[in-house]
Amino acid sequence: MQYSHYDVEEFCKDAYFISWATSPTPDSDLFWMSFLEAYPHKAEEIQLALEYIKVFRFSENEPDEQDLLRLKHRIWEDIEKPSRPFYQWRPIPYLAAASVILFLLVGFWFYQKQPSTLTYTTPYGLIQEIKLADGTVVTLNARSELKVIENIAENKVREVWLQGEAYFKVSKSKDVKFIVHTPETQVEVLGTEFNVNTRREKTQVVLAEGNVQLISATHRNIVMRPGQMAIVKDDNQVQLKTVQPQLYDSWKESILIMDDKPVSEIVEIMNDTYGLKLYFADSSLLNKKLSGKLLVKDQNHFLENFSIILNANLEKTQDGYLFR
Amino acid sequence: MYLTPEEHLSLWNDFRSGNTKAYAKIYELFAADLYRYGYNLVRNKQLVEDCLHELFLHLHHQKHKLSPTNNIRFYLYRALRNRLLDSIQKQNKFTSEETTFNQAEFTVQSFESQWIEEQVLVHQKQMVVTALNKLPKRQKEILYLVYMKGLSHQEVAEVMNISMKSVYNTLNIALKTLRDYVNISFLKEGVLGVSLGSLVNLFFLPLN
Repeated sequence: MQYSHYDVEEFCKDAYFISWATSPTPDSDLFWMSFLEAYPHKAEEIQLALEYIKVFRFSENEPDEQDLLRLKHRIWEDIEKPSRPFYQWRPIPYLAAASVILFLLVGFWFYQKQPSTLTYTTPYGLIQEIKLADGTVVTLNARSELKVIENIAENKVREVWLQGEAYFKVSKSKDVKFIVHTPETQVEVLGTEFNVNTRREKTQVVLAEGNVQLISATHRNIVMRPGQMAIVKDDNQVQLKTVQPQLYDSWKESILIMDDKPVSEIVEIMNDTYGLKLYFADSSLLNKKLSGKLLVKDQNHFLENFSIILNANLEKTQDGYLFR
Repeated sequence: MYLTPEEHLSLWNDFRSGNTKAYAKIYELFAADLYRYGYNLVRNKQLVEDCLHELFLHLHHQKHKLSPTNNIRFYLYRALRNRLLDSIQKQNKFTSEETTFNQAEFTVQSFESQWIEEQVLVHQKQMVVTALNKLPKRQKEILYLVYMKGLSHQEVAEVMNISMKSVYNTLNIALKTLRDYVNISFLKEGVLGVSLGSLVNLFFLPLN
């Protein structure tokens, strides 16, 4: 494979690589994902080359929607009346109506039917392990929903849609991609292990092993390496940092591993996954950072331990608990 | 949102064989993008609109005579550029292309930091942007077409009516500029993927 000897700049000059970086297609995605699988030591060069290419962002002037619409009217009217030598645009009502219909038609034509899916949902406090027909194992965290495309084992692309949090152990399948769709991005892999969390208006992906790629029309492709965490927010900003993956998937064993985790984050997690509402008489406690392990399976047990750690008294309130 | 070469080919063929939906789809997919390119070339909204108008009418009337393509964007970029060139030359006779696009403007964008801890690199980032912006406008047009629009080297050479060699040379100059400003010491450190990545991320701001 010629690419196995490429350096960053050679990638940056390669037309096929550039076309993938600027306008990925299913074929080119598959090619470069497979390349990364076969030559994992090239991940850094590829990541860098993608970053280099990103530098060349030229400013562009966005055309006004109105201008484009007007231009379209001009063109379509000229097409319909080709004999008229000089053209003047007049906003005739029936033309507007016709264009609305045209737009509806075009819109309808673009509309793509969502494939039929199987849906799994979990209530508060329950974790479910799902074995998919292709051998992939998904651990679905509490209060989450996973939609799986029908006949996943026979499809050319294995697709699922996630809301909430799940840990994926994707079975290797030669040349058949596995895609996790989230509101903010899509995670594409061939076979690997990773955690995806879409709670709180962002998608957080933590990669335990292998290669994954984050793809979206609105942010650039991100190639992730093991031990990295990517956070995609709804404004399409992407943050990438190095983390300890086990801190992010210990929920599978109903354990909360804290590594300098602020109390506020633990409160969020308990609310997200167990529907447990925790209040604090002294709000400065929320900024306190904790380290260690907490068992969260048994709620009473958790509350007792948590109040000991925080050195606070526990009171039952109408809908939750108050620490004071 | 991106079409594969096969999809380009079949959409273009549908249009050539008289399918009006395919024609409408081509307008929907490419008009705004053509407008951006055209405006960067001439900085004249009215001229861009007029040329786009003529171009789409021409496509419609001549559809049976057009040649096939597996990259509609390339095809239309080349057509629009030639049309802009023609109409400018008609307005001012005897101008060569060098001076024709004297309103052309391509500016490498400056990017906001999303990495608080990388603030120190902001200065370095500005130097790269400044250096790239100092390149001649034709070289910037080459970089724009290659790295932002994803045209192949051959396609860029054809759109701009220049040699493949000029395209390659420009890429080399641009990559050297980058290399000169990216601190080599980062490359030696294990944190490279993150720190250089973040440095470069500073340049990137989504367009919408």
